[in-house]
Amino acid sequence: MPEQRKTFHQELDEIRDDIVRLGALVGEVIPRGTEVLLTNDMSGAQAVIEADDELDDLSLRIEEHCYHVLALQQPMASDLRSIVTGLWLTGELERSGDLMVNVAKGTRRIYGVSLDPKLRGLIERMSEEASRLMKLALDAYAERNASLGVAIDDIDDTLDTLHGDYIEAIFESHATHDIGLQASVQLALIGRYYERIGDHAVNIGQRVQYMVTGWLPEQTGAARLVARRSLAAEIGAENSVPEAESGQ
Amino acid sequence: MTSVVWSALIAALVAAALATVVARFFWNRAQRNHVYESTMRLGFEIPSEREMVRFDDLLAIVERSVRDLRSDTLQSESAQFRLQSALNALPVAVMVFDGEGSVIESNAASQPFLEARHGDALVGAAVNDLIRVANSGSEASTAIDLFGPPKRTVLVTTVPLPEDGQPGAVAFVEDITERRQLEAIRTDLVANISHELKTPVGAIGLLAETLQGEENRDIVDRLALRINAEAMRIAQIIEDLIELSRIESVDGAGSAIVELAEIASDAVERFRTAAVRAQVSVQLVVLSADTRIVGERRQLLSAVGNLIDNAIKYSDPGTVVDVTVEADANDIVVKVADHGIGIPTRDIDRIFERFYRVDQARSRQTGGTGLGLAIVRHAAVNHDAHIDVESRLGEGSTFTLRFPSTNGATDPAESGISTLNNRT
Repeated sequence: MPEQRKTFHQELDEIRDDIVRLGALVGEVIPRGTEVLLTNDMSGAQAVIEADDELDDLSLRIEEHCYHVLALQQPMASDLRSIVTGLWLTGELERSGDLMVNVAKGTRRIYGVSLDPKLRGLIERMSEEASRLMKLALDAYAERNASLGVAIDDIDDTLDTLHGDYIEAIFESHATHDIGLQASVQLALIGRYYERIGDHAVNIGQRVQYMVTGWLPEQTGAARLVARRSLAAEIGAENSVPEAESGQ
Repeated sequence: MTSVVWSALIAALVAAALATVVARFFWNRAQRNHVYESTMRLGFEIPSEREMVRFDDLLAIVERSVRDLRSDTLQSESAQFRLQSALNALPVAVMVFDGEGSVIESNAASQPFLEARHGDALVGAAVNDLIRVANSGSEASTAIDLFGPPKRTVLVTTVPLPEDGQPGAVAFVEDITERRQLEAIRTDLVANISHELKTPVGAIGLLAETLQGEENRDIVDRLALRINAEAMRIAQIIEDLIELSRIESVDGAGSAIVELAEIASDAVERFRTAAVRAQVSVQLVVLSADTRIVGERRQLLSAVGNLIDNAIKYSDPGTVVDVTVEADANDIVVKVADHGIGIPTRDIDRIFERFYRVDQARSRQTGGTGLGLAIVRHAAVNHDAHIDVESRLGEGSTFTLRFPSTNGATDPAESGISTLNNRT
C-alpha cells in the first residue's frame, strides 16, 4: 500500500510541475506578444498565435491528468483541493494565453498605425506589470503561499491604474488626430487584454488560498447574501405582523 | 616412594608443557594460514611461500596495505572534491542523468533548472525532452529564446554517456545571449555604416543631377542648400568617427585634475543655441562644491556634450533637460535627464553600439550620426566611469555617469578597488 500512495503523490507532483510549466509558457508569451505589438512584427504575430497551440495542448493534458487522478485515486481533503485547484488554474492560464493571442491579432488589425512614445511606454509597462503579476501568482502556487496569493489582488491595483492612464492617453492621441477611431478602439481592447491577464493572476492567487486553507473568496459574498436574506426575512416578519393583526 | 611420586609429577608436568607447546604451534599455524588465506583473498601481495611467512610479517603486510588503501581513498576523495569544485566553478550547467531520466550528478550552475519556475522551467522541460533523445543513443541540441525579462537565449545540449552498457546521458545548459548579441552587433554594424554613409552620398548625387540644366533660380538655390546640408552631414559623421577613433586609441584618461562642474557648464553653453532652436530649456544644477576628477578635458566635454545633445534632440518642445553634477561617498555623478520620447526597453542594451539606431526612420529627422553614445561609452571606459541608463517610452531618459572621485585616486589602494568595481 505505501507504494500505491507514493505513485499518487508522484502524480500530484507531476501535475504541479506541468502547471508551473504552463505558467512559464504564459509568462513568456506576455513579453513576446508585447514585443510583437510594439515592433509591428507580422511574422512574430503569427508565431505567437501558433505558439498558443502548445499552451492549449499542455493545458488539455493537465486537465485529463487531473480527471484521471480524481477518478482512480479519489483523493480527500488537501489532496482533493490540490487537484481541483489544478483544474481551475489550467483554465485561468489557458485563458491568459488566449488573451495574448488576441493582442497578436490586434497587432495585425492596427498594422501601419504609428503609436506615440507615451502609448508605447504605457503598453510596455502594462505588459511588465501583467507578467510580474502572473509570476507572483505562480510563485504563490509553487510555494503554496496563501498570503502571497491573496496579496495579488492588491498588487493588481498598479495595473488597473496603468490601464486608466492608458485609456486617457488613447483619448489624447485620438484628439490630436495621431490615431484614428478604429485604431483607438483596437488599442483600447488591447489594453483591456493586459488588464484581464492581471485579473486572471488575481484569480489564481485566490485559488491558491483555497488550495492551502480551503477558503473560497466567494464565501465572503455568499455570507453577505445569507446575512441580507435573514435581514430581509426579519424585516418582512416585522411588516407582516401588523398585517396579520389587522386581518384578524 | 616420595621420589617416585615426584618423578611422576615432573613427567606429567613436562608432558603437559610439551602438549601446550605443540598445541600452540599448531594453533598458531592454523591462525597464520587463516590470515594468509584472507590476505591472499583480499588481493594483497605476499612475497614468499606460505610456509616461509611469519605471522608478524603477515600482520605487517596487512597493516601496510590497509594504510596504503586509506591514503588512496583519501586521495580519490580529494580528487573527487576537486572535480566537483571545478564543475561548480563552470558557468555552464552540467547535469548527469541515469537511463530513467533522473539526475544523479549536477553542478552549482544547474540548480536554477532543477525544481525550476518561470522561464527556467521551460529550459528544464527542454532538458528532460533532450535527455530522452540522448538516452536512446544520439546527441541533441536546441536553442531556446526566453523573453524574460531579461531577454536571453540558452543552448541546451545533451550527449549520451553510457556506463557499463547502461544508458545514461549528460546535459549542458549554456547562456549564449552575449554571443548572440556580439553576432548581431557585427552583422548590424556593416548594414548601419553603409546606411548612414550611403544615404547622404546618394542624396548629393541625385540633387546634383537635378541641378544640371536647372534654370529656375529658386529651385537652384533650394537644391544647393540641400546639397550643402547633406555635405555637412557627411562632414559631421567623419568628424565623429575621427573623435571616436581618437578616444578609442587613447588608453586611460591622463593624469590632469579637471572640474566636472566646469565641464558640464561648458557643454551646456555649447548647445545653448541648439536648445533655443528646439524650444527646450537646459538647466544645470551643481550640488557639490568639489567635483574634481582625474581625466582628460576634451574627452569629458565630448561625452557630456553628446548626452546633452541627445537630450535636446529627443525632447518635446517646451520641456526641460536637467543636468546635475553632484558628489556622493565615492563618486562624482553627472546626470542628464530629459522628458522626451524615451528608449524602448529592448534597445537600451544596444544604444551604445556604433551607428545603432532605435528608429531608423527618425535618424534623418534628428540629424545625429549614430556615434554620439559610442563616444560617450568610450570616454567613460577611459575614465573608469560607470554608465547607467534609465528610460521609459514617452516619459524620458536619464543617463548617469559615475566617475571615481579624486579622493579615491590619491589613495592608490582605494582607487584600485573602485576601478575593479567599475569594470565589473
